[in-house]
Amino acid sequence: MAIKRVLVANRGEIALRVIRAAKALNIETVLIASSVDMDSEPARLADRVLNLGPGPATQSYLRVELVMHAAIAAGCDAIHPGYGFLSEKSELPRLCDEHGLHFVGPRADTIDALGDKLQARALAKQNGVPLVPGTDQVADVKTALAAAEQVGYPVVMKASAGGGGKGMFVARSAVDIESMFDSATAEARQAFGDGTLYIERYVENARHVEVQILGNGEGEVVHCLDRDCSIQRRYQKLIEEAPAILVPQHVRDAMQAAAVSLASGMHYKNAGTVEFIYDIDARDFYFIEVNARIQVEHPVTEVVTGIDLVQEQFRIAAGEGLSFNQADIAASGHAIECRINAEDPARDFVPSPGRIERWAPPAGEFIRLDSHCYDGYLIPPYYDSMIGKLIVNGEDRAHAVSNLAAALAGFELTGLNNNIALHRFIADSNAFSDNTFTTKWLENVGLDAFKQATA
Amino acid sequence: MSESVLKDIETLIELFESSDWSEMKLKTAQFELFLSNDPNARNVISETSTAGLARPADVPAATSAATASAVEPAAAVVSVPDGHALVKAPNLGTFYRAPKPGAPPYVEVGDRVEIGAELCLIEVMKLFTAVKSEVAGTIREICADDAGLVENDQALFLIELDA
Repeated sequence: MAIKRVLVANRGEIALRVIRAAKALNIETVLIASSVDMDSEPARLADRVLNLGPGPATQSYLRVELVMHAAIAAGCDAIHPGYGFLSEKSELPRLCDEHGLHFVGPRADTIDALGDKLQARALAKQNGVPLVPGTDQVADVKTALAAAEQVGYPVVMKASAGGGGKGMFVARSAVDIESMFDSATAEARQAFGDGTLYIERYVENARHVEVQILGNGEGEVVHCLDRDCSIQRRYQKLIEEAPAILVPQHVRDAMQAAAVSLASGMHYKNAGTVEFIYDIDARDFYFIEVNARIQVEHPVTEVVTGIDLVQEQFRIAAGEGLSFNQADIAASGHAIECRINAEDPARDFVPSPGRIERWAPPAGEFIRLDSHCYDGYLIPPYYDSMIGKLIVNGEDRAHAVSNLAAALAGFELTGLNNNIALHRFIADSNAFSDNTFTTKWLENVGLDAFKQATA
Repeated sequence: MSESVLKDIETLIELFESSDWSEMKLKTAQFELFLSNDPNARNVISETSTAGLARPADVPAATSAATASAVEPAAAVVSVPDGHALVKAPNLGTFYRAPKPGAPPYVEVGDRVEIGAELCLIEVMKLFTAVKSEVAGTIREICADDAGLVENDQALFLIELDA
């Protein structure tokens, strides 16, 4: 391996995950830690630990110059950013280039292009990836009616000049447009000084589906199938699974091909995820964005494909290319991941840091647990509330769901408010076991039912 | 540690005991204090700054948070005698004793410093920041090597406080 010593620029479970992958490849590990993380599980496992700065991330993990200084001073030849923190800040790969270090992630220009929403959409369009069907600005009711007819009802009308729901309305038929167009225009004009509206297809029943890709940076891209991450709360994913079996096979094929086309077109390097919204009624998919990093939910893909994505990241960064071809990728069984969060269900799931009394996760043949927690561990208040991921698999989705319910039943976590009871409730619900939920199910139906059941 | 500081700590412990707090951590230029109701509480502060501070028996003792490095050993723990204060690095960086190469160091052992006196530079990616003394006293020890890497919270100077 061309990489000898990596700086792990993260904390928690992903730091642990990256350190283990590096060790498997005989790469030495140097972990940077804030002063409150010096006593953590990843700090124990790393070959060397450097105290970077105080607890708040803005004084430690988010200070790119401190991270770079530590990497150079410790003689590292690579930096792995994990997810979050500096993972999608192009300054870090740029500094790595300047100082001759390998960045275990995409190139700086890729991160910049994909971080800009308009540029990312333009790239998608250019590479044949479908966007939500819509129109440019519509001047009056007559053009709006013609455009809506072309896009297909239901449609959503939005203000060109701004967001926040001002001037926005959903139209299910021509009557809705006729009755609401003028007032929406007036509302937009009042809010933004510009009353111009445009039209998009309204996706009423959606799934969040995404394709895992790996690129060598020279145009060769393979995908590692897809994931379905539709159990969400406030746009935060809570449960993710692989593969995305609800989507018909021919649509999945087209979606995977679109993801590869987009990544290949921009000579994407390293691991990334192309996110789509899947319209259940129209049986069609549309581009959302590309996440230029390893994602929280990568383990479900690893479990069903047998590929170690983090090790592949190191191979790509070291210039060794991938260890497999597209033809080698196939799904075996089904995997589901639950994000275990330190948050308080009784107080609208606000982050709830504190000291873990007992941490006794389930273990067994179908279970993988990615976490840095242990008995007596103090969850610091400065960081994300996600404290672990329970990943359960089965020969098919039904078996995975029943294994998940059993695993959750055996998960003992005390001393700290957490969302395990909510996961148990979801795993036991019909919408989940029947795979009939949408991205809005948890917020609109599931949470109320959970509150009633636990009241 | 002066009489008045010890009084302050006693008062803090009393306040903590009468509160419904489960944990408290306090850091000043002269000491760090960690109080917890949990007998299993794991430490949060280093031994260096609590040395010389007598704790009531019912307050769990803090243990060292220093995590040894497998590649290179972390800097040795510096004990702080009574009437002394440690100046620590505010973040990771390279420690420089002089304002520029070839110039005399800001301070030598035995020098007297006032509050606000510049003691050293910490460099991070070519950006140099001066570390200033928060106490008045006499430099008794320089705990880090010139031009070497220092970590956040690492001891840089031991200063004997003015009586």
